[in-house]
Amino acid sequence: MPTDNPFQDPLRFERQVPPCAIVIFGANGDLTKRKLLPALYRLAYDRRLASGFAVIGISRTPLTDDQFREKMRDSVEQFSEDTKLDEEVWADFARGLSYVAGDIGDPALYKNLADKLAQVEAERHTGGNALFYLSTQPSQYAPIAHGIGAAGLGKGNGWRRLVVEKPFGHDLSSARELSDRLHEVFEESDVYRIDHYLGKETVQNILAFRFGNGIFEPLWNRRYVNHVQITGAEAIGVEGRGAYYQEAGALDDMIQNHLLQVLATIAMEPSASFQATSVRDERSKLLRSIRPMTSAEVLENTVAGQYGAARIGGEDVPGFRQEQGVDPKSRTNTYAAVAFFVDNWRWAGVPFYVRTGKRLPKRVTEIAIQFNTAPLHLFNQDSGDAGVNLLILRIQPEEGISLKFLSKRPGSGMTLRPVSMDFNYGSSFGERSPSAYETLLLDAIIGDPTLYTRQDMVEASWSVVEPIQNTWKETETDFPNYAAGSWGPAAADAMLARRGHVWRKP
Amino acid sequence: MSATTATIAPDRILKELAALWTQEGKQGDAGVLRACSMTLVVIAEAADDEAAVAETVAALMPEHPARAILIRLQGAGERSLTERVYQQCWKPFGQRQQICCEQIELTASDAALADLPSVILPLAIADLPVMLWCRSPRLTGLPEFAQIAALANKVIVDSSAFPDSADAVAGMAAAVGRGTVLGDLAWTRLTRWRETLARVFENPDYLARLPEITSIRVEHGPDHEISAWYLAAWAANALGTVGGAVTPVIGPQHASLRMELAGSSFRVELSRQQDRLVTVINEQSNCTHLPAPSDYLLMREELSRVGRDRIFEQALASAARIAVSSSSEPQ
Repeated sequence: MPTDNPFQDPLRFERQVPPCAIVIFGANGDLTKRKLLPALYRLAYDRRLASGFAVIGISRTPLTDDQFREKMRDSVEQFSEDTKLDEEVWADFARGLSYVAGDIGDPALYKNLADKLAQVEAERHTGGNALFYLSTQPSQYAPIAHGIGAAGLGKGNGWRRLVVEKPFGHDLSSARELSDRLHEVFEESDVYRIDHYLGKETVQNILAFRFGNGIFEPLWNRRYVNHVQITGAEAIGVEGRGAYYQEAGALDDMIQNHLLQVLATIAMEPSASFQATSVRDERSKLLRSIRPMTSAEVLENTVAGQYGAARIGGEDVPGFRQEQGVDPKSRTNTYAAVAFFVDNWRWAGVPFYVRTGKRLPKRVTEIAIQFNTAPLHLFNQDSGDAGVNLLILRIQPEEGISLKFLSKRPGSGMTLRPVSMDFNYGSSFGERSPSAYETLLLDAIIGDPTLYTRQDMVEASWSVVEPIQNTWKETETDFPNYAAGSWGPAAADAMLARRGHVWRKP
Repeated sequence: MSATTATIAPDRILKELAALWTQEGKQGDAGVLRACSMTLVVIAEAADDEAAVAETVAALMPEHPARAILIRLQGAGERSLTERVYQQCWKPFGQRQQICCEQIELTASDAALADLPSVILPLAIADLPVMLWCRSPRLTGLPEFAQIAALANKVIVDSSAFPDSADAVAGMAAAVGRGTVLGDLAWTRLTRWRETLARVFENPDYLARLPEITSIRVEHGPDHEISAWYLAAWAANALGTVGGAVTPVIGPQHASLRMELAGSSFRVELSRQQDRLVTVINEQSNCTHLPAPSDYLLMREELSRVGRDRIFEQALASAARIAVSSSSEPQ
């Protein structure tokens, strides 16, 4: 009996997208409105979804199916940045939307959901496939998974998968506990922990850049790389999320997940294939190679910050402690900078500086790989800049790659000045790039977990972040220690200066 | 910028292009991005719809930024060769920065065809693939075509426009045999058909019944002979890889195109009915929208593949054999 489909032509055919029902818990929430529905609509617009596709929204608010459709239509119109609402596509898409109201702690909700899933399966031919998307408070993940399991919905005619948003726990033990609770209902292979940074085109392009070209990888090691800077900066403050942010902080909210995943993508070894297991194994190995710090090392290699009030562009901006919902004595870090070291042969001794913060001068996420300088300076150098050979991988806002190098200044004499060679990903190919959520949702439907975070990766990340958390809890820092609109605390500059390095100002 | 001259000097064209970029750079405050992933040479007859070809090439640029060289064939007459140089610029939706691609338009009479390779060669961008889209079946029959095709990494034709289907398939198979990397839009038009059939056998129950298939029948209308050969050849090749040796039967009984794979108790049928592709599995029918794909969509797919396409090449070789046996059968 044949096991492979002989009619497949993977180089020409689109990936097969199976029919399924997506069950969104927290269907009235911000994430659903701003990201999930616009992404799903765009996939429908691009005809990437199977005809047997349905969305079941779940929330406490009583709504009819039509009211839910109307709300989702408003969301798509408001938040689809580059897709106009096409009446015909929307009408077809909206027929697949339905709604179930209920409390996630109430077993009746799951009974109603089971009925709705059966109805949708019969009407839309979803093949019994269901993707449960938890767009709720993290504290509700385990109760929802339990509810799904108790109602017998964790298994069915087709596949059943669970997608959860970060944070995956708030430390190592809570992350393990959460995984254990989810595994009571779903196998690890069916749990998709979403990190939307990994769905971004440029983060995927890092793999193409490193492993699709032969010229960069030979330089990608301690012999040629002086240090790496990873910046995830936001210009905004907590924007009404003060109460939530106060519990998380920059270290947990950004570094533990997004930026460590980016670091792993930059520094991982080539995988033997582009199969999900192989790529995730290498990411996981890298994360496990990051050296956990002692308390003394944490004090030496990390800086916590919190922004204070300032005047930006003629406008008075409150400090974090003055934000709505924030404790006036809060010790939450709104800025975190860490010098990580990867203990493997490729990277031994190379610092990976990672920083993130709120109320920094601009919104930018990028990776800067600083190469060693030429061993001798034969020429006059205009700028006196030692870090001339720099490769910058920009993740947002404008995805692209820049290479900085020295060039002769026009005219007589031999004076050099740095120039930048830019590749702008979006505009070099005038084609639209899919949003991270489009990429990741489609991957989850297809069953490709390459860009999703596995349990061992989550645990490895917490293993390196937890010692920092613990030391920071025990250390009194004089907050606020940086002004809103600046590039962070002076201590962060001093941390790099000790190794003769300087933060870039992207 | 345009220039019409009696003779063509590639150096002058390149200088004009450089001047265009300099001028463009001075005009815009956001700067110009010069994007390029290939040289696209398009050859069309003068009678071919000029605006439609230009529109197709412009539409291809966002995904396949290229230096486009459009060559219009003037046919018989005095030896003449002229050129015009210009840019296609646009701003991607929601972005400030504009992208520009270069276009060079040449016209050539048949008497000047032999000069074309020496013009195209220096105009092709170094180190990037050269893709030749030949819209003129007439040109492929001329002796100069081989020299022009030899400049390209891939040659794309549309065999459905060729006057003699059997000759076209035989010629293409021979070209592939000589090492030419070939794309045929008649094959590209079948991607959705092939994909639909492949999707049927993603169902493990149907996949398990694949060995039951004992017949492949393809029926076609007057304009779909090559498509029928391709479909039959491809299906027979695919079944061959799982041990089934089925000789396809081809007949001209359908207005458009219809394909049936059948066994004792299992049958899959695909047929075009106006703008729809109807799939029937045993007695269950499903219908999807299938408008005739535009040249833009077909070329977009073909330009995405620079290298050899083994599945196509195997189908082409088998199609050539089917064509021979079809033409030797009594009518």
